[in-house]
Amino acid sequence: MQEYSSQAAYDRGEAVCVIGAGAAGLIAVKNLRENGFEVDCYERDTVLGGLWNPQNQHSPLYPNTHLVTSRSQTEIPDYPMPDHWPDYPSAAQMLEYLNGYAKHFGLSEHIWYGSEISGIDPVEGSRFEVVVKPAAGNSARRLRYAAVIIATGHHWTPNLPSYPGQDLYRGTILHSSQLKDGSRLRGKHVLVIGGGNSGTDIACEAAVNAAGCVHSVRRGYWHLPKYLDGEPADYALARLSKRPKLFRKYLTKRLLKGSRNLSTRMGMDKPDHDHTDEEPVRNGRYLEHVGDGSIDRRGEVAKFEGNEVIFADGTEFRPDIVVLATGYKPGIKCCPPELLGVEGESSQPKLLARMFSPRTETLAVAGLVEPGVGALPIVHWQTHAISHWLQVRKEDPERAAAFKHQVVSESAQYEVNSTGISPRHQLAVDVEEYLASLGRIIDTLEQEPAK
Amino acid sequence: MSLNDWIRRTRIPEPAPVAREVAVFEPADLYDVDTRDDPEAAPILCCTGDGAGAAAFNALWLKRIAASGRYAAAVSVRGQGGTPAAPGGIEARAHDVVQAVTGIPRQAVLVGHGLGAGWAALAAARYPAAALVMVAPGKLPKQLPKPVGGPPVLLVVSEDDAQSKGVQAIAETFGVAPLTFAGDANDVFKGTNAEGLLDAILSWLDRKD
Ligand SMILES: Cc1cc2nc3c(=O)[nH]c(=O)nc-3n(C[C@H](O)[C@H](O)[C@H](O)COP(=O)(O)OP(=O)(O)OC[C@H]3O[C@@H](n4cnc5c(N)ncnc54)[C@H](O)[C@@H]3O)c2cc1C
Ligand SMILES: NC(=O)c1ccc[n+]([C@@H]2O[C@H](COP(=O)([O-])OP(=O)(O)OC[C@H]3O[C@@H](n4cnc5c(N)ncnc54)[C@H](OP(=O)(O)O)[C@@H]3O)[C@@H](O)[C@H]2O)c1
Repeated sequence: MQEYSSQAAYDRGEAVCVIGAGAAGLIAVKNLRENGFEVDCYERDTVLGGLWNPQNQHSPLYPNTHLVTSRSQTEIPDYPMPDHWPDYPSAAQMLEYLNGYAKHFGLSEHIWYGSEISGIDPVEGSRFEVVVKPAAGNSARRLRYAAVIIATGHHWTPNLPSYPGQDLYRGTILHSSQLKDGSRLRGKHVLVIGGGNSGTDIACEAAVNAAGCVHSVRRGYWHLPKYLDGEPADYALARLSKRPKLFRKYLTKRLLKGSRNLSTRMGMDKPDHDHTDEEPVRNGRYLEHVGDGSIDRRGEVAKFEGNEVIFADGTEFRPDIVVLATGYKPGIKCCPPELLGVEGESSQPKLLARMFSPRTETLAVAGLVEPGVGALPIVHWQTHAISHWLQVRKEDPERAAAFKHQVVSESAQYEVNSTGISPRHQLAVDVEEYLASLGRIIDTLEQEPAK
Repeated sequence: MSLNDWIRRTRIPEPAPVAREVAVFEPADLYDVDTRDDPEAAPILCCTGDGAGAAAFNALWLKRIAASGRYAAAVSVRGQGGTPAAPGGIEARAHDVVQAVTGIPRQAVLVGHGLGAGWAALAAARYPAAALVMVAPGKLPKQLPKPVGGPPVLLVVSEDDAQSKGVQAIAETFGVAPLTFAGDANDVFKGTNAEGLLDAILSWLDRKD
């Protein structure tokens, strides 16, 4: 590429801009290139792989992170992981896999590292001007693209609750993404707040390393082991989808019964939602640690009093370290909110089919869903659809019209309706419904229009 | 691969993993010949229905491909050559080919010979091959799924087979005209006919790249 001046935007013609080189960005680049697009991908960090790369400055990986979704349900559909890998690969293997993918499809040469996108402005002809935040001493660069795909992830801004009296607490308080090194827990009295996958995994880490572990959880979740009936749990459950609806319900219930009963025995609240409504907690060891007393479960934290933590039920604990595994705040800072359908009070994007801007045809977001299953395949089909859409839009107005109609009607079907109280669950989709919907969208795009 | 094919496949058991034998020859491995190592050119992965598996390509193919500047590899699927037998039919063999090709550092061309042409074609429906080359294909499955990523397809058959129903059907499925070579359909691994055949494939690939 050439040098850019600060005033004039450099016009990249028909090229597409992808923001972020995490899993979603990489898959987008590959699928766009496969459909004949020139692509520039901008990554603010100096490495690829997004949150799976511990060298990424803000990576949320914590000690011993392993996949919670099994290999066959997590791998990218057209680039499987090595079949001698374990059922649940480690974070390091996930990174190796993404590096392999990038190398295999020659993606790196399209990625510009150290390039944070600070803004995207719509300009005439449904095109976009993209602003690359200047590195120290340089002026901002502006480039024009025919389309933009945002793949910036949603695990970067920690959600941090605050409690009365917290300021006077003298111990360590940190977010799960800052833990990094498990040895920080060794010999300490640890309080873990938050009952998602991060909190549960970290509580298990503390159960074996720390002097004591209290786990504060404010409501009931579905706890799934990593295996059900001799098979990886997500696979065992997904398999049932072939069955007629009622029979499937029966079989699912039967499959989940054991872990449900065990959760009840461990004194956990009954989940207020169905197991597909929110991402379940997948950890086979947790309930056993609760059962052998190495994890002491409590309810919500009420306040800090000096170095004591007081729980809502009046009990107390004096932790040396408090890990806030309270999740993340999704947010796309580089894009004007109205383009993402953010309206009124809610800060929640309202995208068509969870990926297309409701305002402009040439802006899409990849990976802004919590499907409760492997994220990568979902992103693959999303970006497959997006790439086809951009192509059809250019070449075949008739099919484009049919497609728009389809997407709008599909979108009505998975309006946000989670019963969860946490804002994060607004990204949740029922994966069966969502995949069926993606399938119909792709069919519309690939069908020859009736002449 | 359509989304539905993928859904179906992720909900049936994966074929048992095997330790696959893969033979590799890189341009850099050739000391004696004057090679033009071309890092841009797509690597080639070969498979054949011949029981020897990867070894069948040792006599001529791997070296000659490498000499043309490309990374050359061949895989023995389950039960062939040095790869242990394991349960599974044509789907499992296609799985072996996909596993072998994703182990190659860059996006590769799939070349299948005989029954191997069917495995390569199935593999190309799961993995976006840089190109799909079917050489003297054996019996292929009736319903061949569309290759993903729209790779260029080459069908190479012996002169004698060119008019056969089977070949016509494959040609129609992929919308290509078969390229013919002189000699016997099983005589592709060595000899002058084999050299001519391989060179024709390589020059077709060079045109496509
Ligand atoms: C601890 C943890 C464990 C998980 N485990 C699983 C699992 O087991 N299975 C599963 O399927 N999913 C899992 N996930 C979900 C995970 O989100 C997906 O697997 C996947 O990594 C998401 O990729 P992404 O590309 O959407 O986001 P990210 O990996 O977050 O990548 C986004 C990239 O965009 C870059 N970026 C952000 N803003 C800008 C900007 N303005 N300009 C330029 N670049 C920018 C970031 O630096 C980053 O590299 C897990 C998530 C977490 C947090
Ligand atoms: N190994 C893995 O593969 C792995 C590991 C970790 C995470 N992940 C994924 O990464 C994503 C983030 O997971 P996460 O566990 O970090 O976050 P999360 O799933 O959002 O869970 C956050 C937890 O903190 C609780 N919480 C939030 N705000 C709180 C508050 N003010 N007071 C008390 N509790 C509060 C939440 O309760 P509510 O539910 O009531 O809001 C929830 O239990 C998820 O998609 C997860 O599946 C995967």
